[in-house]
Amino acid sequence: MIKIDIQKKLHAAHGEMILNLNLQIEQGELVAIYGPSGAGKTSTLKILSGLLNPDSGTLSVNNNLWFDNKQKINLKPQQRKVGYLFQDYALFPNMTVLQNLAFALSKNQDRSILNELIEMVELGELQHRKPNTLSGGQKQRVALARALVQRPQILLLDEPLSALDRKIRSKLQNYILSIHRKYYLTTILISHDIGEIHKLADKVILLEDGKISKQGTPTEIFINQKVSGKFKFTGEVLSIEKEDVVYIVTVLIQNQIVKVIAQSTEIEGFQIGDQVMVASKAFNPIIYKID
Amino acid sequence: MNKLQGQIIEIETSGNISIVSVTVNEKVKLKAIVIETPSTAPYLKVGATIAMLFKETEVVMGTDAQHAISLQNKISGTIKHIEKGTLLSKIIMESSAGEIIALISTNAVNQLHLKVGMNAMAMVKLNEVMISEI
Repeated sequence: MIKIDIQKKLHAAHGEMILNLNLQIEQGELVAIYGPSGAGKTSTLKILSGLLNPDSGTLSVNNNLWFDNKQKINLKPQQRKVGYLFQDYALFPNMTVLQNLAFALSKNQDRSILNELIEMVELGELQHRKPNTLSGGQKQRVALARALVQRPQILLLDEPLSALDRKIRSKLQNYILSIHRKYYLTTILISHDIGEIHKLADKVILLEDGKISKQGTPTEIFINQKVSGKFKFTGEVLSIEKEDVVYIVTVLIQNQIVKVIAQSTEIEGFQIGDQVMVASKAFNPIIYKID
Repeated sequence: MNKLQGQIIEIETSGNISIVSVTVNEKVKLKAIVIETPSTAPYLKVGATIAMLFKETEVVMGTDAQHAISLQNKISGTIKHIEKGTLLSKIIMESSAGEIIALISTNAVNQLHLKVGMNAMAMVKLNEVMISEI
């Protein structure tokens, strides 16, 4: 569990601001930080990774103190098991994919992690290529793999997918989710994409002016329209097919595929990959025991 | 989905279930049954403005107002548009509650001889109506 209770004076664009965080994140959780520019989102990740020192407070991970200004404890970035991924891939242009990953190995670390990660993000065929021959999505997959070389417990993602187009973004989201689950990481994601947050995050923290103004599940935070239906799920649109005067919308809800009949005005503006809410009344579903 | 905005005029509660009556444009009365009570859903208040939502496929169309029928929600109006498909047809009816869209079988459209300009009745069971806070 990550326990954060820190204060830091920041010099934001509109003057001084106090970042005041009091927050607990369970191991294995994927938490999204959402909020306007200059709210302190990136500073929060920098404090976690040790790139920015708080003025006061404590930070502990699994009961180990990483920062405590009273006890003068402040672990160096390289002592904290944290993987960091930014929008900017920051790959070494003169090195191949494999060399970029190998450069992140710590002294005497077993190299087998490299192959495991290359397989995980499907870079096998690209491993001997230089970054300038790769697409944006491929570069970000390399950067994601590199962030995991040192087997971090915590993965920090600072809007890593915002420069990518929708289709590639959706694919990268799947890689992030499977990596998060496979390595049982605690992942903190900064994102402005509400669909992305619905797809990835267990919990959302709304950060405004350096303070947490709200936290809850993505549905609690973003679906403010309170529909009385008791059979409500969010999912991803996989396909929309026209059939007679209606449309059949196929939606992936967790790992189940459902189909919803909709008519033209209901699906206006829908695109493949969009996050949607599927709702029905508790009176409609039938229920029976599976033998 | 059909969405009609109105004011709550009555809430009958028994245990965890309530039947909520709403008037739309002070003319049409609609009812919804929900697993909520005024204590679990603060928006359930007499006088509050809410939206009633129901799926087009759950709308029953008729031509006569005098059916002996269990359906609690009956809205009369005039058919404005019919789009016929092979199996299903889309009907848009103009009513004093606003536009109602129904998706019914093309067979039923033919049997009832539904035509643009005809008076008709749209009906929906109260357990098909959802309530949404505005």
